[in-house]
Amino acid sequence: MNFQYILETFIKALSGIPVTLGITVVSIILSFIPALFLALGRLYKVKGVTKFAIVYLAFIRSTPPILLILFFYSLFPSLLNNLLKSTSINVFDLNPIIYAFVIFSLMTTGTLSEIIRSAILTVDKGQLEAAQAIGLTNTQAYLRIVFPQAIKSALPNLCNLVINLVKGTSLVFVMTVKDITAIAKIEAAYGYHYFESYFVIFVIYILICGLIQLVFHFLEKKVAII
Amino acid sequence: MVSYNPSYVLSFLPGLLSALPLTLFIVVFTITVGSLFGGALSWAQLSGDKVLNAIAKAYIFIVRCTPPIVMLFMVFYGLPEFLKWWLGIDINSWSRTVFVIIAMILLFAASISEVFKSAFEAIPKGQLEAGLSIGLTGFQTFLRILLPQGFRIALPNITNAILNLLKDTALAYTIGLADVMGAGNLLIGRNLGNYSLETYTAVAIIYWVLALLLSLLDHTLEKSLDYNRN
Repeated sequence: MNFQYILETFIKALSGIPVTLGITVVSIILSFIPALFLALGRLYKVKGVTKFAIVYLAFIRSTPPILLILFFYSLFPSLLNNLLKSTSINVFDLNPIIYAFVIFSLMTTGTLSEIIRSAILTVDKGQLEAAQAIGLTNTQAYLRIVFPQAIKSALPNLCNLVINLVKGTSLVFVMTVKDITAIAKIEAAYGYHYFESYFVIFVIYILICGLIQLVFHFLEKKVAII
Repeated sequence: MVSYNPSYVLSFLPGLLSALPLTLFIVVFTITVGSLFGGALSWAQLSGDKVLNAIAKAYIFIVRCTPPIVMLFMVFYGLPEFLKWWLGIDINSWSRTVFVIIAMILLFAASISEVFKSAFEAIPKGQLEAGLSIGLTGFQTFLRILLPQGFRIALPNITNAILNLLKDTALAYTIGLADVMGAGNLLIGRNLGNYSLETYTAVAIIYWVLALLLSLLDHTLEKSLDYNRN
């Protein structure tokens, strides 16, 4: 047990936090719009959307994330290289974090659409009808009446989603993205301090997820007042 | 052009299927031991003992915040080093399977204990009281009245937990275990890095079929339990 080493690794691993949180935030932002459309499409029974959503969810839900990452990481670079052959962009110079954004968005979209759908369903149908009755357009009714109420029931599920996403991003080391886990892995292999390295990131992940839960707890309290 | 030859997917399947027993063994063993551990955790939370409750809650919080891969690395790389430093025991020669199973049990117990707890809380309190009032002991009431009802309520969530366990088990290849995922990676290595897309598709098909079988089993069980009730 080397406490000097633990402290050094802790500081080094902290530099991976922006990457971990960056992938989390970007994936949620990228997947929000498709998830919203998927959810609304299912609610309005647009033809084909429900079937597509069920099949898509089943596939994403039953594939191990590591397998999805490896699959797309072998697919994307050569595919992009092919598409961008005529341009001067060199695909293999691209930061692999871009692939992480795409893959995690793909994984998040399904879950997020389910969260949005169930949240909208919890809002009483009369609310939407009342809003339309007083002359709001559909968009206005959703933005001002339905969504603010739906957020309340969506928050606990969103908290779960964010935590699972943060945990999921620990797999990006297979794509050579340097997140918290990747840094610890490098440090561990460099000095053979396996236990110390992984213990350090174990603590960091607990801190991050604890903070996220605190933030959501605070948000839930704030929303409850409205 | 990205080369993709679907016929390779089929030819890779038999080789990968030979690794399936190991994956299934890990999953089944983890479910058995993990459920016992998880049951103990939910009992600790429901027993009303403040200290036990706090310990169980802390454990679940910590595991909920730990990425599966970090848990696996901690157990595989950390545990031998830690035990050697602490007690002087050398467990480096143990099979990788043991470490994977330990890590999976630690993860699975936390998630399944939440399932058990919520199922138990969903049963009306009158059931317990009715069982006790007709003269059953506490244990008999639990076994004959609460457990069958709780199981039915918990079934969808149990399926979900097992599905997540199956997905987490795929991480075992990162420490060099030749389960389905590991066999796939070995195969890619043997083909000098070629046909990776076909191999991953074949691996994915195995996981899809497993998930499909699991949800079918869940579906039939739910139906038959419903039938008994009516």
